[in-house]
Amino acid sequence: MGGKCPSRKVKKRRYSHKTARRSKFLIKGDDAVYEELQKPDGEMKSTLPLDEDLPGMGQYYCLHCDRYFANVTVRDEHFKTKRHRKRVKQMMGPAPHTQLDADLAAGMGAPDNGPKLMSM
Amino acid sequence: MRLEKCWFCSSTVYPGHGIQFVRNDAKIFRFCRSKCHKNFKMKRNPRKVKWTKAYRRLHGKDMTQDSTFEFERKRNRPERYDRNLAENTLKAIKKIDKVRSDRAATHIEKRLKVRKGKERREAQKELEQSIHLVKAPQVLRQDQSLTLPKIKVMVSQPKSEQNQAMEE
Repeated sequence: MGGKCPSRKVKKRRYSHKTARRSKFLIKGDDAVYEELQKPDGEMKSTLPLDEDLPGMGQYYCLHCDRYFANVTVRDEHFKTKRHRKRVKQMMGPAPHTQLDADLAAGMGAPDNGPKLMSM
Repeated sequence: MRLEKCWFCSSTVYPGHGIQFVRNDAKIFRFCRSKCHKNFKMKRNPRKVKWTKAYRRLHGKDMTQDSTFEFERKRNRPERYDRNLAENTLKAIKKIDKVRSDRAATHIEKRLKVRKGKERREAQKELEQSIHLVKAPQVLRQDQSLTLPKIKVMVSQPKSEQNQAMEE
């Protein structure tokens, strides 16, 4: 990541990290990925929609890293990488931090939604 | 008016303070100050950052289970205004807050006590084992007042004798 800096005068400063920063929030957050993974699978793999804007028509997707690949071989290559395996390990662990966790840590009780109005 | 908690450090975010980030899946992240916001942007995990409440809770630094935690809650229902109730609540808040802070203080005291005892025991052990480093053996032999008066240690603990043999 990180392309050539358009306005470079100093020779040492070659690359701008602007793109890296920009793309940081284009991918899914940890908690979103975790939620996806918690869903019962089966429905995910079979129904990947065709999208011509994505690499490989959006058919070769890594759920853990939220990345699309051009073909099967590249994807399988990705599955072997250290980055992917690290990610899988992270996702196997405890659930990511949420606002509810933050509230509990602050010494708040569980949210009180009152009695259920529609009991049926 | 609702006092929210910071997503990162769990401190209270008062109105007019901090910043709020709404992700494109409509999840709201509130931050009490730019420090927390920056840490979030760096994708740090609050459970691994030592100064957050989440870390302190998880690692037993702070109180985790207490009856005073049941009072402050997010109440997602309207409450009919009642003057007496409001008055009593305001009175209770002060009292509960005091109870809670006292309990938290005792918790920390108790936690630190363990370490103090350990430090003392370690210091005692170090003194017993390496008193010879304080003075040269020749000086110790000449001046009896420099040796520790405890002789019963040698008798009661056969381990210390073995250690001395090893050293020689």
